[in-house]
Amino acid sequence: MASISKAEKSYIQAGLLADPPSRADGRSKNVFRTISLETGVAPLANGSARLSIGRNPHDGSGGTEVLAATKLEVEDIGPGSQGLDSGRIECTVSCSPAAYPFLSSNALDELQYDYTTIMSSTLTHPSLRPSNISILQGKKSWLLHLDVVVLTDSGNAFDAMFMAARAALCDTKVPRTRAVEYRASDSKLKGKTSSGGIMGAVLDASSSKDMDVDVDVMESSSFNTRVHSKATDFELPDYWDEGEILDGKGRWPICITLNIVSATHFLDATTPEEASVSSRLLLMFSFPSDSSTSKSQLYGMRTLGSGEFSVSQLSDLLKEGESYAKEVWKALNSQLDEETALKLKEMKRF
Amino acid sequence: MVEITVLKRSRTEAALTQRKFFKKTAKGKVFKVLRERYLRDDVSCGIDGCKICHDTPLPSYGDKNHSSFPDGHFLLPDTNVFLSQMDLIESPLFGPPIILLQTVMEEVRHRSLPLYNRLKALTRMEDKKVWVFYNEFRSETAIVREEDETPNDRNDRGIRKATQWYAQHVALRSSSIRGQDQNSPTILLLTEDAANRFKAEKLGLSALSVRKYVEGMKDSPQLLDLLAAEGSDEIEPTRVATGRQVLYPEYLSTGILVAGVKAGSLHQGHFNANQYNYLEGNVSVPGFNKPILLIGRENMNRAVQGDVVVVEVFDEKEWKAPADEVVDQESTLKDDDAEESEGEGDAEKSGQLREKEAKMVKVEKIASLRSLERLPTGRIVGVIKRNWRAYVCHIESTSLTSSNSTSLSIQTVFATPVSRLLPRIRLRTRQAPTLLNQKILVTIDRWDATSRYPEGHFVRALGRAETKEAEQESLLLEFEVPYRPFGKAILDCLPQQGEQWVVPPKTESSKEWKDREDLRGLNICSIDPPGCQDIDDALHARVLPNGNVEAGVHIADVSHFVHPDTPMDNEAAARGTTVYLVDKRIDMLPALLGTNLCSLRPFVERLAFSAIWELSPEADIVNVRFTKSVIASKAAFTYEEAQIRKDDPHLQDDLTQSIRLLNTLAQKLKAKRMAAGALNLASPEVKIHLDSAESSDPIDVEQKEMRETNSLVEEFMLLANISVARKIEEVFPQTAVLRRHMPPPKTNFEKLQDLLEKRKGFKLDVSSSGVLAKSLDLCVDPDLPAFNTLVRIMATRCMLSAEYFCSGSVGKNTFGHYGLASSIYTHFTSPIRRYADVLAHRQLSAAIGYSPLHPSLHSKAHVERILEVVNKRHRLAQMASRASVEFYVGLALKARGERGGGTGVTEEAFVIRTFRNGIGIFVSKLGIEGLVTFKKDMLFDAENYTMTVAGMVISVFDKVVVRIEVEKDRNTHRGKVKMTLVSPIDSKGM
Repeated sequence: MASISKAEKSYIQAGLLADPPSRADGRSKNVFRTISLETGVAPLANGSARLSIGRNPHDGSGGTEVLAATKLEVEDIGPGSQGLDSGRIECTVSCSPAAYPFLSSNALDELQYDYTTIMSSTLTHPSLRPSNISILQGKKSWLLHLDVVVLTDSGNAFDAMFMAARAALCDTKVPRTRAVEYRASDSKLKGKTSSGGIMGAVLDASSSKDMDVDVDVMESSSFNTRVHSKATDFELPDYWDEGEILDGKGRWPICITLNIVSATHFLDATTPEEASVSSRLLLMFSFPSDSSTSKSQLYGMRTLGSGEFSVSQLSDLLKEGESYAKEVWKALNSQLDEETALKLKEMKRF
Repeated sequence: MVEITVLKRSRTEAALTQRKFFKKTAKGKVFKVLRERYLRDDVSCGIDGCKICHDTPLPSYGDKNHSSFPDGHFLLPDTNVFLSQMDLIESPLFGPPIILLQTVMEEVRHRSLPLYNRLKALTRMEDKKVWVFYNEFRSETAIVREEDETPNDRNDRGIRKATQWYAQHVALRSSSIRGQDQNSPTILLLTEDAANRFKAEKLGLSALSVRKYVEGMKDSPQLLDLLAAEGSDEIEPTRVATGRQVLYPEYLSTGILVAGVKAGSLHQGHFNANQYNYLEGNVSVPGFNKPILLIGRENMNRAVQGDVVVVEVFDEKEWKAPADEVVDQESTLKDDDAEESEGEGDAEKSGQLREKEAKMVKVEKIASLRSLERLPTGRIVGVIKRNWRAYVCHIESTSLTSSNSTSLSIQTVFATPVSRLLPRIRLRTRQAPTLLNQKILVTIDRWDATSRYPEGHFVRALGRAETKEAEQESLLLEFEVPYRPFGKAILDCLPQQGEQWVVPPKTESSKEWKDREDLRGLNICSIDPPGCQDIDDALHARVLPNGNVEAGVHIADVSHFVHPDTPMDNEAAARGTTVYLVDKRIDMLPALLGTNLCSLRPFVERLAFSAIWELSPEADIVNVRFTKSVIASKAAFTYEEAQIRKDDPHLQDDLTQSIRLLNTLAQKLKAKRMAAGALNLASPEVKIHLDSAESSDPIDVEQKEMRETNSLVEEFMLLANISVARKIEEVFPQTAVLRRHMPPPKTNFEKLQDLLEKRKGFKLDVSSSGVLAKSLDLCVDPDLPAFNTLVRIMATRCMLSAEYFCSGSVGKNTFGHYGLASSIYTHFTSPIRRYADVLAHRQLSAAIGYSPLHPSLHSKAHVERILEVVNKRHRLAQMASRASVEFYVGLALKARGERGGGTGVTEEAFVIRTFRNGIGIFVSKLGIEGLVTFKKDMLFDAENYTMTVAGMVISVFDKVVVRIEVEKDRNTHRGKVKMTLVSPIDSKGM
């Protein structure tokens, strides 16, 4: 990253190792800078969020700023296509050149690629796949593009990106679809040409409940939710409806970066601080709300830099990381809830 | 320093200012669309005298003529009013000022584009007082859709909100007029939706249904007739309550239909009714090479001629052959009573009728299991698009309960459309007695599953049946021919000099002469039918020093006067073609152009577009060039004059020589064309002799004569068209306007082949056009000279019709013209009367670098769209002129019959079809087809196409003598040609 002189590096390290530790902005080791979040910033996206860490509240300068947005695209399933019955997610990170003015364009590409790999390997994992992005079995499904843009970077980009991604995914709404199909019932061949011969079925693809409808095959019933394979196309029942919330609101992980200096670690490093630590540990945690026992889920772990960890050191770091992550998780969730409430209020105003 | 501030809309307003929705494309992609809206406080209410608003065209107190609103009122109609009652609103009798909400406009557009266009026209009409209020843009009336609110509810709420605002707004105004205690006019919400009315009344607003409102109007009897059938429920609630019998299967929803069609389990196509049998129809679909047969009322399931329907095809073992019987709607359903069948309550009667119809359908089931004739059979499961328009009808006198002409009571009557392809329509009217004997225009409103007949309403009367004016107008309406006079905007596109326009003298600076060749010196002449006013082609030929011949075809340079994208051009594109009726011509271009400035009259200089060939003496093309030119025709001949001139050995002048030269070349060209496999097709063409130009009473009918000179002109026109087609296709491979004639599917000929083989022992080989031409030549019966023509006419009917297309839209191997045996073809030679030719002119002009091509002609989509219209207009125009001829043949027959003492006319005719209870015949001398029906079934042999009447065997292709009478149907007052056999046996009374 940004290169700093040896003297500067050792000064920062010494400050962090001192007792009490001292940081250039006066924070203690495990305190985050101010985080601000806004969702629904891109009206044309299906979900979006803008998140900044450490931005000056008065003039809006400085800090790390990340924009995340999701876009749903209909994808055909079949040979020659990557589409899956259950739908899939694709994740891309791009960095604004303004965020890294000192990097050449090649270096910027590499950085973007690194970011994309880390985000993508965590968020597109099958265990995180939402249940409601399928459309038609074997025919069509949603492809969810998650695009993250790093607008400015003054340290701790990973935490910011994951938080923004989580916020955007929680903000995402999936348009409701309804499968349509036509099929002739078996009784048709018996020369019955009056109203009972034909059955049209409308299936509610987004409902996972198996509705048990009594189907009277002989006469006039036109609903059958059992058969899924025959539908060939879908329709949008309501064009004006934004849709239902993307499943997995409780699962999308956040990232906590532990910056390790000798035996100690600190959170939310600024750019110079990042440059002066030898190794960093990224932990991707989520705390699904349904398991109210506050059981955490670790979705990813990654080390950056040249330092080494022993196993015991790692397990300590994991434990501590989990507790930090929980704090951030709670804060983020409460902010997200507030945003939702705010939007509802705005709607009511008119 | 100047301070610059950026006014950003805060995100907190997004809920109000942004409207987001999804859109699903045909390819199945889903897009999110975002609309921004800016709310304002200065959207005017449009009412005169308003202190707050400007721009106020509506009268201050609205309309005070309504009995319920003495203080004046304004109408604020809901969307459903426009969707169902457009005829009422458009009526000149309907005068109250209307406030049209933007929400309503948008909803109408969403639901029906044709209605939206009518609505837009309405807002521009001068005698209507309509104010469009952009309620979605005024801050007080804009609304946001709430959670769990359907779009419909949202719009209804928006309409109510706007009504409320208007009511307050108007009240505000009147209260501010000091000292005057005047009541403010009412803002009346007009809606057919009872729930909406109820909610509005709860808000303290006035709301009425259309029927209730119209009942209080001054001209209510006339206006009530214009009301669509929708409202009938309210008047007789008891009738509705008695459970109606469901007569037809319900339609499937559109989504299911589309999915079914996509999956291939359902098929989509246009519904065609059978003109011989009202209980039968068919649908041509891409999936089958034969049309899908629909038998019986239930299977046709309320489809009307021209509707786009979706059919389900039955299992193959249930396929059936078409009926071999004539089933006439009028005679079968004569006893059905309009009032009775309205509720379909009379179970006994309705049951009887059903039985009767079922029998008709069944008869053929037993008899015809012939495998050859079995067609894919199916039933209609849904309608994608209704193609309903206003139909010309007669009121059936028997359906009237009271024929007292002063009676203004409302009656339910049947209207029988003039076209045999349409079902009778039930309508309610107060004017029934006065409408008897008239041709009237009726629109279908709906066709419920519980109603045997479609329900419609009366639009307007066209006049007494059989008067020429009424017949002519009904004909034009029936074939959707646009016949309004040209508007001012169109006439403004004409040259200002009008009739005085001449080609300016040749100078360097003259615009007209730029890049034009001076061909005034050539011996050019035109050859046309007698009385032709729009001469669009002229010819010349001369021998070149090298022994070759120079031949030129000169076409009126219409594109010099009709420029792209002008009102005149748009009108011509919409009209597509000039329509020729026996006594009237409906021009595509204003008469000034058609019959004067563009018409290549003799002895005057005219602008032309010339195709000039150098032909070898054997009529091979050595060279061809195209040029804009100025010509001066030396003579305008009729075919007959030209023929006489050519045959007169004493005439040796240049003009005559030139005609002879053209004639020799034409013969060689024709020989070549025939050798290449062109078909010599025939269609019945007759000529109507009119008494005099003024009275236009037909005296007699005779068949058109073909002379050598007809063929001369035809050959050169073909040559020009082919040469031009090659040129424009070469230069504009993507958008060239071409014409093609697809080879007919072999299955189309099966029946004719079988007929010829069984009856006459001729084999018809249809493997290619050349072979077909040869085998048609062999179909000669020495005893019956007209037989060959008949076979040709029948063969022509088996073929597809030619069509215009855009060269980029179809594969190059399908460009061919089957009938002409040419690999490429277009229309270039009649730009005055065909729009496709105008396009070809523009493209050729660009191809030779004379003028740049208008961008629209570079767009494939645009060309396709225009040609689609032109194809349709062309087809309808042909049908209209045929119908016009038929009408006049009828009149002529009547005249001839009266001269002969009222016994009718006897003519020789050919049998072309046999039915169980009748024969179809063709009278070649009159060019008409007819039906001889017998009251009971005869001995009928479908295998051999024969039937036995009183011991006499009659088979297809037999020559018979028929008596033709024109009689008036006593019930519908529709003139009808009735035919009876005279020889071999007299079928009178059979």
